[in-house]
Amino acid sequence: MTATNALTPARYADVIRLRAVRMVAPHGFGYLGQALSSAELFATLYTGHYVPGRDSLVVSPGHYIIAAFAAAPEAGLLDEEELASYGFDESALEAIGTERSPAVDLTCGSLGMGLSGGAGLALADRLQGRDGARVYAVLSDGELEEGQVWEAALFAAHHRLGMLTVLLDANDSQVDGPVSSITTLEPVAGKWESFGWAAFDVDGHDTAALDDALRAAAADPRPAVVIARTSTMHGLAVLPDGADGHFITLPDSLAEAAIRELEARLA
Amino acid sequence: MLKQPYRTVLKPYGRALVDLARDRAEIICLTADLTRQTEIDLFQEQFPERFIHAGMAEANMVSMAGALARRGFLPFVHTFGVFATRRPLDQIVNSVAYPNLPVRIVGFMPGVSSPGGPSHQAIEDVALMRAIPNMTVIDVADATQVRAALPSIADVPGPVYLRLKRGEVPVIFDEGHEFSLTTAQTLIEGDELAVIASGMMLASAISAAAALAAAGVSVRVVNVPVIKPLDAETIRRTVSRVSAVITAENHSVIGGLGSAVAETIAEAGLGRPLRRIGLRDTFAEGARTAPPLFRKYRLGTQDIVDCAWELLGRPGPPPPAPATVAAEGEYSPV
Repeated sequence: MTATNALTPARYADVIRLRAVRMVAPHGFGYLGQALSSAELFATLYTGHYVPGRDSLVVSPGHYIIAAFAAAPEAGLLDEEELASYGFDESALEAIGTERSPAVDLTCGSLGMGLSGGAGLALADRLQGRDGARVYAVLSDGELEEGQVWEAALFAAHHRLGMLTVLLDANDSQVDGPVSSITTLEPVAGKWESFGWAAFDVDGHDTAALDDALRAAAADPRPAVVIARTSTMHGLAVLPDGADGHFITLPDSLAEAAIRELEARLA
Repeated sequence: MLKQPYRTVLKPYGRALVDLARDRAEIICLTADLTRQTEIDLFQEQFPERFIHAGMAEANMVSMAGALARRGFLPFVHTFGVFATRRPLDQIVNSVAYPNLPVRIVGFMPGVSSPGGPSHQAIEDVALMRAIPNMTVIDVADATQVRAALPSIADVPGPVYLRLKRGEVPVIFDEGHEFSLTTAQTLIEGDELAVIASGMMLASAISAAAALAAAGVSVRVVNVPVIKPLDAETIRRTVSRVSAVITAENHSVIGGLGSAVAETIAEAGLGRPLRRIGLRDTFAEGARTAPPLFRKYRLGTQDIVDCAWELLGRPGPPPPAPATVAAEGEYSPV
């Protein structure tokens, strides 16, 4: 295993992709798209920002837990060998995050609840005087359709929870199709700003831009959202056009091609 | 037990919570825009640093409470029973009950005690909460029981739903009343009929038992403040001593105390006739005051008496329930 500091975030993101492909491959399908879109987001977060033990990590959409698991070994949160049990019977590494899920402080299989959890953790940090503790909450753009997210956004701004940072994976993907074809969320940044948040709208596959945004988010006294514009197909050229980003089908031949592509890039 | 009409007190829960919070620094109080109505203006005055306005956002409030509980706090969330259970049901399940966190959900204005119509009448809250794993469900009967119950409730390791009458709360039990999370309380001994009651229907059950006793019916009255986990042993023992059973709850007959007792009787194979007093799978409506609703939906003392009379096959008309004469500041059940 390579130490985080020996990895650039961009390379770390491909490590996450490769692990995610290997985790999904035995099942033939799964939440690979979520890992592909959020790989740079997790890689950047885990490189010089999120400090386990000091900070809290919320992965609101439980379907993204694959990315948190795949990123966890470098952060010392999970042994890489454990990843092989992902999605199998009796494994704590369930495909949709649960209370058993390691490597995160909170995850929610029912969408839209994570930001409230993040607000609660930030409030607890404040009440218990844990200065310097940050709460990072990974949300997906589809979740913004849930009203509870906006209840939590109002609460966090009103209570000036400046230690709370949302990492929004704006991959324009939900079960029924592109988010933009189902609900107009734009202007996403404008919505958060009007709720009293600092918003940073960036290319979610550009690790330098993500890094800058996370620094700016931490410096801002308001709660902040990093809107990461991403694609569920990113970083895996072998995927066929039109693959369902929410739940990718990965037959053996495609899995082998995907592993070859990623191993070649990491070689 | 004291005698009817009962004297009433204001804010017994609010005062008990303040007293408890003096010794329990981990208690956090949350409100969804119903602070005075849920008696926690008292808490806000005493412990403003531990008081959180969540606003009219019950879903967020409940999920936040779960997160606070993960960090060692003991959150008490407050609103009316309808808003405490209907709107944030998914949040109660996923953010609180599944992780088995010690969040206390306190829902005021049970059943038709609210004249505010179906939107404000919690008639299925017990059923919803009872169906959730890990959840303890408590429907207290009076001001003394509220105070006695609160320290025990604070110590429950998992989540609790507590259902409370709003406003003037009767004092039925004497000062020394002991609350038990595990044992239902037999208040009146009798061997013909058992009336098993919770919450606001306890006063009616006591009243009905007196009327029936005067007419020669021996009635056993059992108070079941803890509907889940149910004290099945006391239910079985009670039922096996009588020839018929009536449950009384200010709630739908589906899923609440009546259902819990029915399940216990059936599983024990006791085979006694059972009648459930409660809302008969119907919504109620708005009114000027609550008592007409208790009468209309057959949740009164006379309804228990009539039901008992018919159930036991007694000849002639049932005895009249005692007239409810309550002066200002007093309480008698319908």
